[in-house]
Amino acid sequence: MGAASALSTPILAAEHVTKLYPVGRRAPVAAVRDLSMEVAEGEFVCLLGASGCGKTTMLNMFAGFVQPTKGRVLLQGSPITRIEPRCGMVFQSYALFPWKTVQGNVEFGLKMQGVSAAERRRRAKWFIELVHLQGFERHYPAELSGGMQQRVSLARVLAADPVVLLMDEPFAALDAMTRQAMQEELLRIQEASRKTVVFITHSIDEALILADRIAVMSARPGRVKTVLKNTLPRPRHVSVQLSTEYAALKAEVWGLVEEEVQGHIEATVTRAGG
Amino acid sequence: MLARVCLRIGSVAAFLLLWHVATTWGWVSGVFLPSPAEVVAQAIALIRDGELWSSILVSSGRVFAGFALAGVVAVPLGIVMAVWWPAKAIVDPFISLLRPLPSITWIPLTILWLGIGEEQKVAIVFLGSWIYILVYTLAAVTRVDPVLVRAARNLGAGDVAVMTQVILPAALPGIISGLKITLAISWSCVLSAELVAAQSGLGALIWQGKDWGNLALVLVGMVCISITVLVTDAIVARLERILLPWERHRR
Repeated sequence: MGAASALSTPILAAEHVTKLYPVGRRAPVAAVRDLSMEVAEGEFVCLLGASGCGKTTMLNMFAGFVQPTKGRVLLQGSPITRIEPRCGMVFQSYALFPWKTVQGNVEFGLKMQGVSAAERRRRAKWFIELVHLQGFERHYPAELSGGMQQRVSLARVLAADPVVLLMDEPFAALDAMTRQAMQEELLRIQEASRKTVVFITHSIDEALILADRIAVMSARPGRVKTVLKNTLPRPRHVSVQLSTEYAALKAEVWGLVEEEVQGHIEATVTRAGG
Repeated sequence: MLARVCLRIGSVAAFLLLWHVATTWGWVSGVFLPSPAEVVAQAIALIRDGELWSSILVSSGRVFAGFALAGVVAVPLGIVMAVWWPAKAIVDPFISLLRPLPSITWIPLTILWLGIGEEQKVAIVFLGSWIYILVYTLAAVTRVDPVLVRAARNLGAGDVAVMTQVILPAALPGIISGLKITLAISWSCVLSAELVAAQSGLGALIWQGKDWGNLALVLVGMVCISITVLVTDAIVARLERILLPWERHRR
């Protein structure tokens, strides 16, 4: 698909993936149909699409939470058949353990890997500092704001050192200003760590700020409609939104998405009318 | 805040005053209601000869034994039922049949099986409590957010770690609040058991008062039950805060 992925095995790939969900006694609904895509090592890919386009289903298959009905999902060339700790997930709802402190949450993955207590503490400290939460180690998640909780969740996943980072609309529940600050932090962290990221969003701006490539998805059934290379320069900053290049790219993506949204609205209206 | 405290104290004081006036001025005959002073005198006499303490201790001991036994049986069973469907399918019909039965309906059978000694009192508390603990535990474990389990597995947790590190702590607040509610039920069980056949305990004290026509004794017993249950509740609330430090920050 991309130039980089043609050279070596992609770190993550979906091969003709279809996922059907049963709907009562009627014919099953395809959340994703015949979707193929590849992600190269160190790449930041955004899956962009309206709600209900199957992007979360696709991400859940990358994580191994659900299995494809047809086709294969591959991590470093081998199929993902169960929940895959090498694909670390950042959830939209943070999914922090409320009974554990910030420290305890960040240490969790390391504890599961059998890392010693002293080493866990040392590494957790490093990642807590990475997301600028030093001083909050002993706080419980409920004491933190949404943005801070999502940073804990990011530190928790990064500390476990997965091969791929999966992010399911992680900033959707945050207010606009916090979201912008979080996007900036993610840019900084990803550019420093060169982690491979698959990021789901329905925001064109978010996709343009963060991604190397943007996979625009079509809805019902979910498919990759087009893959765009994001030519905005790196290292990137949220102020990239002020450039003329950004405006041109945004117009292009908007053109692609608009067709989808229009089609979606018409389909809904027809169904409601019929 | 101060106004609220004043009103609370005022309402109790007004009630006691009304009670005092009604009984000493003869509005209500002493046969039906003793005066507050008589009740206090009775309480002091009972404290002096140690009978009050021994009654409280005896009843508390029965509650504690039956309640602990119920917890030891019902909490693990509830957890197993929540995570392993065949267990739920096997136990469910018995829960449906047994839950509507008040604990007093067990009194004839338990007397036949166990006599009227301590075992029978503990059995009544156990039989009246375990189903509630089971139902609360089952609900608490079933309600655990599946996203937390997913997140834990995604971070490399196996079955044992998911159980001990996620499901149990996530369900703990619900299990403890179920235990708290059941403890009050356990108290009503022991009192009903003591009313029917017992020589000791707070329930027996009340029944003695009735048999001897000593209404002050009945009232002392009733007040003692209230205070004992309130004190137990306060102790449990304190324990809850120690066991669940994170719950303090919820909302």
